[in-house]
Amino acid sequence: MPNESTLLEFKNVTMRFGGVTALSDVDISVGKGEIAALIGPNGAGKTTVFNIVTGVYQPTQGEVRFKGESIVGKKRSEITRMGLARTFQNIRLFAEMTALENVLVGADAHSKSSVPGAILTLPRKRREEREAHERANELMSFMGISKQAHLLAKGLPYGDQRRLEICRALATNPEVLLLDEPAAGFNPVEKEILGEQIRAIRDRGYTVLLIEHDMSLVMGISDRVMVLDFGTKIADEIPSEIQRDPRVIAAYLGVPVDAS
Amino acid sequence: MNFSTLTSQFGALTFDGLVLGAIYALVALGYTLVYGVLRLINFAHSEIFMLGTFGALLSAHAIGLNAESAPRSGLALIGTFLLVTIVAMAISGLAAVLLERIAYRGLRRRGAGRLTVLISAIGASLFLQEAVALWRGRNYETFPRFLEKEVWFTLFGADIRSDKVLILVSAALMMIALERFVSVTRLGRGIRAVAQNQDTSVLMGVNIDRVVTLTFLIGGLMAGFAGSLNQVYFEQTRFSIGIVLGVKAFTAAVLGGIGNLRGALLGGLVLGVVESYGAAIFGGSWKDVVAFVILVLVLMFRPSGLLGETLQKARA
Amino acid sequence: MKYLSSVTDAVGDRWRELPKATQRLLTVIFIAGIAVLPMVQIPLLDTPQTDFPSLLFDKIGLYVLMGIGLNVVVGKAGLLDLGYVAFFAIGGYTMAQIGTLLHWSFWLILPLGVVIAMSAGAILGLPTLRLRGDYLAIVTLGFGEIIRITAVNVDWLGANRGVPNIPWPAAIGPLNFEDILNPKPFYWVLLALIILVIWLLKRIDRSRVGRAWEAIREDEDAAELMGVQTLKFKLWAFSIGAGIGGMGGVLFASKVGFISPDNFPLTLSVMFLAIVVLGGSGNIPGVILGALAISYIPERLRGFSEYRVLLFGAALVIMMNLRPQGLLPRRIRGKVI
Repeated sequence: MPNESTLLEFKNVTMRFGGVTALSDVDISVGKGEIAALIGPNGAGKTTVFNIVTGVYQPTQGEVRFKGESIVGKKRSEITRMGLARTFQNIRLFAEMTALENVLVGADAHSKSSVPGAILTLPRKRREEREAHERANELMSFMGISKQAHLLAKGLPYGDQRRLEICRALATNPEVLLLDEPAAGFNPVEKEILGEQIRAIRDRGYTVLLIEHDMSLVMGISDRVMVLDFGTKIADEIPSEIQRDPRVIAAYLGVPVDAS
Repeated sequence: MNFSTLTSQFGALTFDGLVLGAIYALVALGYTLVYGVLRLINFAHSEIFMLGTFGALLSAHAIGLNAESAPRSGLALIGTFLLVTIVAMAISGLAAVLLERIAYRGLRRRGAGRLTVLISAIGASLFLQEAVALWRGRNYETFPRFLEKEVWFTLFGADIRSDKVLILVSAALMMIALERFVSVTRLGRGIRAVAQNQDTSVLMGVNIDRVVTLTFLIGGLMAGFAGSLNQVYFEQTRFSIGIVLGVKAFTAAVLGGIGNLRGALLGGLVLGVVESYGAAIFGGSWKDVVAFVILVLVLMFRPSGLLGETLQKARA
Repeated sequence: MKYLSSVTDAVGDRWRELPKATQRLLTVIFIAGIAVLPMVQIPLLDTPQTDFPSLLFDKIGLYVLMGIGLNVVVGKAGLLDLGYVAFFAIGGYTMAQIGTLLHWSFWLILPLGVVIAMSAGAILGLPTLRLRGDYLAIVTLGFGEIIRITAVNVDWLGANRGVPNIPWPAAIGPLNFEDILNPKPFYWVLLALIILVIWLLKRIDRSRVGRAWEAIREDEDAAELMGVQTLKFKLWAFSIGAGIGGMGGVLFASKVGFISPDNFPLTLSVMFLAIVVLGGSGNIPGVILGALAISYIPERLRGFSEYRVLLFGAALVIMMNLRPQGLLPRRIRGKVI
């Protein structure tokens, strides 16, 4: 529940597209240092939540606050630089850039130098460039993909592309990391490793909001699970409670979970 | 700047602007339809229009129409107009379908980027222009007059002239026909379905290739029709006639809300009238600048156009 | 096409594998070779209309410069500018007007022309760069025409008569620009400017600005969601490109001494674009190769020149379908370290 440690907060958020209501009167909160999961059947509105948080959509009604400040109507790049970064359900890397450059783009989010700095090689530009490289290299070794640093992103194996997306988002130095189905297409071993990595990310001080279909992963790492169904939040509990919640079971009985 | 012309000839300027606007609107329909379905600006559409003007010209030559032949009337007149127009439409329609096959289809299947598609379209546009330039020369060719340009009466200072009435009336009929087609027929529903959601439409059994072909065909037919009307009105054409008209028709489509059929109509008429006023105020040589400035202003302040985007929401 | 590309790919790979020092040395030798080109008479290179040394400035050198400038916009940032000739014209008219009316020196007008063209780029870019990329294509196409129509209609700009007696640059040391029959001084100035521009662009390219451009080109939405201020960097790309175009215009006007709206037709924009696309959007060697092909081949094949736009149009369609990455693609794989 919202308290002083709440970082991200949805208050009565409604999102309509034409006649379709994707989210209706949804409250969500993510507290500092937790791994919160957002689950629900396909089309329940999970990715819409991410799109609202990151400024892709403007909510029809309601408030979205980050560290107490409303982020509705802010520019997407500004929201990212405030400390909210995401990955994408369908991988959206910069395909023709190397893995390292992808991460550097994220790390550049906090650089201030621009064309004059680049032409004159100002000291600030050099410092920022060095710091960005350090951060990028460190994150890539943390996610175990340093060997691929100089390959083009499109040439990376599928799993590494997913890991690279996480790296790129982390490079922006977010307070809340939003992961949109990071384990999609992973085998059980890879999921296991990813679970460990997400925990490690949290232990580094990042807060994680996770969309995931794989129940064992969600139940294994989350501190709290929120369930969306047809655009409304039907549960918000710790994992062990969720599994027993009759509303959640009902929601999942009608529509089979595409648990992979 | 000269506002006295604008005030003294307001009626005439408005009427002439509407005539011009009807031609813009017909061409704008092609941009809007293709954009609605494929989310792509058919850059070579201006050349489809240009080919239509030549279709009209060549068919007029073929039936031995020349400036000296006596002005026709009655059935002969209607027959001539229909023949010339149908040939123009057929040529433009065919060209549009071929254009899609050659310049777009492969790229679309491959999911190529916007820039790639656009450059392919520019290539096709250059090719068509130059092909016509090499074939017909680079100078204007005159279209023989078959309809006596007779002023029937004057209304609010506007000369209600035979050719202008023909353009307005036939363009209106054509647009009503198109609107009926898209909203009532099964093929029209296919177009709207694909415009709304391509993936879902495929799942629902819509044949995308056929819908795309049809979309280009309709756009081409409208452009050919506009080409014929343009000949009746301006009585001349050459290889490069499509460029400026294309920019204007595109402006009309954006002004009305690209992807929106009624928007194209409204945008065309508004643009035609505003351009007519603009030419009166700033002088005729600046009229092409007016359209461009409008385009930039619309993009700045109302990028979704007067009626909003999307084909599926407009019931047309 | 396949064969050619495998050759260019191999050359690119070999180059990247060379040590830094060797690369530098080869670059210096290459530049020196280019610089002495107009001194050597190679009859084989002369074309039916012009001797090769004259051709080196206009068109080859100018096309290289314009290609490099437009490449920043199209190749790097992925913004399709179909009216690049507008900035060339702005530079040209800046030189013409200020040179003939205020009698400023070419060496002062040159930076001024760049600044004016950059400002024009920023003014045009600010409202339009927010929008979807394909709108930009149409707006820039219109802009190119507007600039030409303006030149035609404004009496002060010489209208259709054009502007004659545009001054040549003041001599610097032994370099005297007065002799119209000697193309060398202009060529060397142009060459120096091209090298300067490439050097500056390389610096920008290796910074976050270059990365931001590439990210925008690859996926603008994703770039913005990763914190890239897309509008700001698109504006930079657009106005840097515009500035280089203006630079080309100033040089051109001062060299030919007389300009009129006919010097800035729509087709010139298309030729500039062709250079970038043919060469392989995004890399400078490719653009230079593209500029050579577009400027030299038609001069050489005067007989075919009538068909060149036709062939070029067909080539664009075929190329986009078969080898959209151009003759020298941006990068086949990442740098191997």
